[in-house]
Amino acid sequence: MAGPPHTIAHIKGWNSWNTCNMLDGLRPAETAIDDEFIRRFMMGTWHDLIASEIIIKRQHNIIRIAAITVQKISVTKVYFLIGYTEEILSYWLQCPIKLELQTVEDRTAVVFKYI
Amino acid sequence: MSALQTTLRRTTVVLMPMGYHPARVWCSTRAVPTDGKFRVLDLKKKSFVPHAKKKYNKTITLPPRALSMPVDQDWSNVWPGPKTFHPATVPLALRQGYDPKRASPGKYGNAELMKIPNFLHLTPPAVKKHCSALKKFCTEWPKGLETDEDCDRHFPMTTITTDYCHSSPTIKDPKSRIVTMKIKLSTLNLDKHARDKMIRLVGDRYDEESDMLTIVTDRCPTRKQNYDYGVYVLTALYHESNTFEEWERQKQEADMEYYIWENNPSKKAYVTLTRWPEKVSDDDVKSHSIDDDTVGQKYKEAVTELLNNGEDTYTLNKYREAALAVLLPQTIQA
Repeated sequence: MAGPPHTIAHIKGWNSWNTCNMLDGLRPAETAIDDEFIRRFMMGTWHDLIASEIIIKRQHNIIRIAAITVQKISVTKVYFLIGYTEEILSYWLQCPIKLELQTVEDRTAVVFKYI
Repeated sequence: MSALQTTLRRTTVVLMPMGYHPARVWCSTRAVPTDGKFRVLDLKKKSFVPHAKKKYNKTITLPPRALSMPVDQDWSNVWPGPKTFHPATVPLALRQGYDPKRASPGKYGNAELMKIPNFLHLTPPAVKKHCSALKKFCTEWPKGLETDEDCDRHFPMTTITTDYCHSSPTIKDPKSRIVTMKIKLSTLNLDKHARDKMIRLVGDRYDEESDMLTIVTDRCPTRKQNYDYGVYVLTALYHESNTFEEWERQKQEADMEYYIWENNPSKKAYVTLTRWPEKVSDDDVKSHSIDDDTVGQKYKEAVTELLNNGEDTYTLNKYREAALAVLLPQTIQA
């Protein structure tokens, strides 16, 4: 959703959900770097398919990655990419990864406002 | 050149195998084309046709699952655990997002709904299921611990530690090493001197209002070590309070933590006044008892309160009443 950063928690939500940036949170820097790595990996692996921001939620050691993709490639390829992403990322980050995708027919279905 | 040389050359030719032609030409314009067409050298590649771009055939997708859900289904089977919102699975007409001019966007293709954490896996029936599954691991509440007072009597000391859960791969938190121990001072077997000494030793760790002694240990790296250290400190404090050192006899009136009327000149003045005109010695003052003397008791109480609690309207008024009763008894009675 479009909006300057100060509208977060007022009219839109965060893209990363974790406890690291709370008071006395642990590993804030490592988590930020990991999130950025996951985002870049997703944008590259699902090239030209992601229609929204990549949402990263962490619960204990599980990382759940959510995004909206476009129905542009065959279902078989989507299944392969899901398995590939989960496997490779969990190997790199050494924790269980879950990919929770939603698909839309057209990229314009996600557009909320043209700036 | 003679006849002999001519003969030798001939011999050589004869030795060659039949059909061998030393001057045969392999590449020649006379070669027959294999595909039947005459091949032309195509330098500018005019005959190259680029591959047509592969056209994507639209994937046939099923209609949303929410449309075919029975009304009496078990929702905890549909949504068993924490999961990001999915519009095709949730049969609710949700909208999320802020738009000052139009209505909020619907649930399909809405990233805002995916961002916000949902509790669709924690519906009341699901919680009930969890509880009934966990019930077999529960034990009965021990007998004799029905009320809080019973618990306090049987377990006077409380140990507080905290475990932290983070949304990160580490399970270690430096704060979890801190151990807090709480104990009521009245549950310890302390006499008047030992109690006073204990309060002086622990300083502001003792809360006068709740009579609670709190010891927080965080200097060791692990919780176990901190707990052991806390127990050690408590034991050391207890035994140190119960010992009476020789130098403690040197405690003077100025070192007293609160005002004791019997040790002070106020009692001497009172005794001198009540026994007027005879002269009183220090021994007389010490042995003088005010157990049957209500005026004396009131005066003692008023002076003690005034000096221990500080001057305010209430204590000053009380002191005035008591002083008048001592000095002018007839005025008060009249």
